[in-house]
Amino acid sequence: MTMTPTPAPHPEAPGVRPRRFWSVTPRSDRDAGDAITSNFMLHAFPAKVSKASMAWSYSFWLGTITAALFLLLTLSGLPLMFLYVPSVERAYQSVKDIEYVITFGSWIRAVHRIAAHAMVVAVVLHLARVFFTGAYKNGIARGQHREWNWVIGVVMLLLTLFLSFTGYLLPWDQLAFWAVTVGTNIASAIPWVGAQVRELLIGGREIEQATLIRFYALHIIVLPGALGGLFAYHMWRVRKDGGLARADREEITEVARQVSPSPTKTYTLLGVTTGTAPTVTARSLEAPNTTVNAVPDLTRRAMIATLGTFAVISILAVFIASPLEEPANALITPNPAKAPWYFLWLQEIVTDTTIHMGSFTINGAFIGGVILPGVLIGLLTVWPWLDRSPSAVTGEWFPRARRTQNLVFILVMVAILLLTYVGMEMRGPYWQIYWPWETWPSMPGRI
Amino acid sequence: MSEPTKKNDRRDFLIKLGTGAGVCALGIQGLASARSLMPNVSYDAPTTVKLGPPAEFPDGLKFLADERLFIFRDGNTFHAVSAVCTHLGCTVRAEALPRPETATVGGAPLKLTHKFICPCHGSQYAGDGTNISGPAPKPLSWYRLSVAGDDGQLVVDLADEVDRDFRLTV
Repeated sequence: MTMTPTPAPHPEAPGVRPRRFWSVTPRSDRDAGDAITSNFMLHAFPAKVSKASMAWSYSFWLGTITAALFLLLTLSGLPLMFLYVPSVERAYQSVKDIEYVITFGSWIRAVHRIAAHAMVVAVVLHLARVFFTGAYKNGIARGQHREWNWVIGVVMLLLTLFLSFTGYLLPWDQLAFWAVTVGTNIASAIPWVGAQVRELLIGGREIEQATLIRFYALHIIVLPGALGGLFAYHMWRVRKDGGLARADREEITEVARQVSPSPTKTYTLLGVTTGTAPTVTARSLEAPNTTVNAVPDLTRRAMIATLGTFAVISILAVFIASPLEEPANALITPNPAKAPWYFLWLQEIVTDTTIHMGSFTINGAFIGGVILPGVLIGLLTVWPWLDRSPSAVTGEWFPRARRTQNLVFILVMVAILLLTYVGMEMRGPYWQIYWPWETWPSMPGRI
Repeated sequence: MSEPTKKNDRRDFLIKLGTGAGVCALGIQGLASARSLMPNVSYDAPTTVKLGPPAEFPDGLKFLADERLFIFRDGNTFHAVSAVCTHLGCTVRAEALPRPETATVGGAPLKLTHKFICPCHGSQYAGDGTNISGPAPKPLSWYRLSVAGDDGQLVVDLADEVDRDFRLTV
């Protein structure tokens, strides 16, 4: 009987050593590269990324921070799902237990709440960054459809707001009840179908058990699922479109030059026929001094952004307690009754836009709550097709060619912020304006 | 020559049939699921509510929190004004006027003792429910009052809006 000799183990690639809990033992640099591109988690990124597009000062990593917040919200939402009871009799009590009885309950709830508010902020900042850098524009590469990724982004912004709004009702306290009363009544100001839309949203004519269970199901399954799916598509499109818009800029500005072919790449014969030595003309991402390996350079920064986000939120949650008002009471409207802060600019507008023309009246809720946000969202959605600036300014902060539209965008944002501030800080009882140095008059709690 | 075309036609037809059936099936299931979310039965409170014997109502105004309703009494005359703001549905608050005024409302004199202010967006209403300032698009509703035949209690019908000349004299 002959023994087949066991083949000698392949020599390890330099710098690559087998590790415990890590089954990949690449035999060469090429194997190591393959291990990365065939790994689901790691091939979310391309092998090489442009250095400039990874700069903190270009994107501020706002998209990554938003994704990290979504992850943190999912994680902190899990224990809350075990503890919260979505019934009008017990919802308030279970949140009170989370806040005051359960060990670390108030911290977990604070993490969830602060991360939710932070996510609204991060999404809006991310949108503003993409707008200011014109990153929804297509650069020079073929097959780019950045405008569709922008549209996906706008939908994700709306989903984030709706997620936050549905979570707002769940504690079933006065704050929650009246914010949702005002919010859903805006829907009923839509002509003809308004009452039906509101009825579908809250499952009846009053905010009751049917509303709570609807908002709960939307909050824990429907909206996060939709957001997660769109997020995956959003990331896939970023890769398909050649990375962040900043990478395109590099391609445009850099002069093509001769470089010796990389030993790890395969070139077609056409690429190496000119000259006496084999060279290729490179003006692309592959240029060695403008790109780095995604692993570890990109993954490391993504981890820093994620862990940093987790750390900041976790520490803030120790110091900022979540409010819990009296149980929801349909009979007593708090004075003043305010919507969640990110809808306060809308509440300001619905206060001021009722139009009387003789006997004909248009409810401010319709103009401020439906028409105006509808027009803003509509404009935002179609903006990539309206923006006629040259593709050469794609991925550049505040280029001259886009000065007017950037200015208008800033003005709209400032107006929204101002209205939000007025709604948050300056509206006292009966929605009267009070300056910061004025004290609110004491109002009787009931009629 | 004609055979491959025929074959393709059949395959084409079957693909279209299958896709169409799939789309129909998913569409109908989607519609059915959406329809199930529109409530068929409302378990909301009934709209006709007994409020108690007329004699128990004080002269002037009484607020009924459950019905979100103001009941006004002037001697033997009653009328009911909704406390639901016509802007976005918050409950308005009544503020007593420094001195009662008498105005002609719906062709009949009416003693006005209060005005109404909404805490949500600051809409103001006169004592008869007329919207005077703020974003409220229309006046507060007036509801039909009657006296129950069996026990003589005051009854309001929250589904029956009435004109502002309505007075119930007991």
